[in-house]
This record gives sequence, C-alpha cells and structure tokens, in this order.
Amino acid sequence: MNTVTVTHHFTASPERVFDAWLDPQTAGKWLFATPTGQMVRVEIDARVGGLFVLVDRRNGEEVEHTGEYLVIDRPRRLVFTFGVPKYSPLFTEVTIDIAPSASGCDLTLTHTGVLNEYAESTVKGWNGILDRLDHQIAGSSLPNK
Amino acid sequence: MVEHSAQPLDAVFRALADPTRRAMLRSLAAGERNIGELAAPFSMSFAAASKHVKVLEGAGLVRRRVQGRRHVCRIRPAPLAAANKWLSFYQRLWTENLDRLDALLQAEDRAASKQSKRKEPKR
Repeated sequence: MNTVTVTHHFTASPERVFDAWLDPQTAGKWLFATPTGQMVRVEIDARVGGLFVLVDRRNGEEVEHTGEYLVIDRPRRLVFTFGVPKYSPLFTEVTIDIAPSASGCDLTLTHTGVLNEYAESTVKGWNGILDRLDHQIAGSSLPNK
Repeated sequence: MVEHSAQPLDAVFRALADPTRRAMLRSLAAGERNIGELAAPFSMSFAAASKHVKVLEGAGLVRRRVQGRRHVCRIRPAPLAAANKWLSFYQRLWTENLDRLDALLQAEDRAASKQSKRKEPKR
C-alpha cells in the first residue's frame, strides 16, 4: 500500500475532535496553519461533494490546501481528497477515523496515494533500503544484516 | 514543502509504481547487474528488460554504462532519498497538524475551566 498513517490520542470527545475539522473558525486556527504563517482564507463547504480551501501565507507566499469531502459520518469518519496545487497537480486521499476511548478518543489519519502504489515497505522499510543503497554508493561493503 | 520540484518526483513514482521495476531495483541494491541478469528472474526478453531500465534511467534511479556488448546497470540512491523525504514530509505534516489541534482543544478546556471557576463563587 501507498500510505502514511498517523495516530493521535485526544482527551476531548469524538464530536469535538470531528467538528474541529469542519468548523471554519476552529479549522482555521490549526489545520495547515503553520506557526510562522498566517491563515488568510478558510472556506469549508461541509457536505459530501463540498469543497474546502485553506490558504496559509508563509514568508510572503500563499499556499493553498484544497480538496473535496467524500464521506462525512459524524463523529466517526471523515474522508476527503487533498491537494496542494502549488506543489503538485495530484490529489491524494485522507481518511480520518475517530474511535471513542475512556479518556477521550483516538484518531487515526490515513493518507493514501502519497507515492503511487509504492511503499508496501512503508517508511521504515524505505529507510532500510536507503541505508543499503547509501553503503552501496559510498563504495563500502554492505553490512552483514 | 520538500525542496524538490514535483516533476522529477513524478517520474520517480511512476518508475516505482511497477512491481517488475521495483524488483529490478532490489536486485540492483545488491550490486551491479547487466540487462540479461535483470531480465532473468522474469523470463522476459532483453528488449523488454531494457525498456524497464530505460524508465528507471529516466527517473534517475539507474545509471547504465556500456562495456563492450554488456550494458551494466548501477543504482542511484538520490531520487529514492527524495521519495523517502516525501513520505516523511507527509508524516510530519499530519503529526504537526494533530499536535496543533490537540493544543488548541486543551487551551479551550483551560479557558473554559478558568471561566467556570470564576463563575462558581457567584453561584
């Protein structure tokens, strides 16, 4: 698979965490909001087929993050396409799964399409391959496992 | 964002999307191979293997040199490192976003509890 997965535990309720993605006022404060940047535009059309646009201004350049909502299942699941047109014409897909826990909720974010189909080996596997390759190119012999 | 333009990375991802080419790269990671050696595990023709190598070359993943009648291929790790950087870029992007969301929600909680404490004595 071709996926980056990140998990995070929140002490807040699933509803609050879910709504933070779709409420423009809340989302504008954190989503794609870099510490040194300034969020200059937040548009969220929170329905299936609706679009979002968040524009962050960093060092004088505006970076637009955009996509379309594919699944909105409050407070369990949110799926949207995601692209940063400035950097790539490709759109990838992000799935947010939120599971309630005793002390809040656990969020799992799955970002697919990051490398077209590659990376069954995941990030960790990559590093192993790269280590080997670096040894190879440096002309040194490969370490024995 | 990653300090590589999208164009060459696209070529890298396209090259890596094919399982045969990935297997060829794995084989090359262990050492130099000529085209015949790369073709052998797949029972494919020299021409077909050469086509795959051409795609890998185009993405900068492989360098080919001609020694007499042999085409010797060697792997180049730089584009792989760029692709790897790309993956870890997204990993970091989302981790930072979720950390920010967490901090925001906790700040809201603190503000709310302060306010309710202030109100309590009045009740």
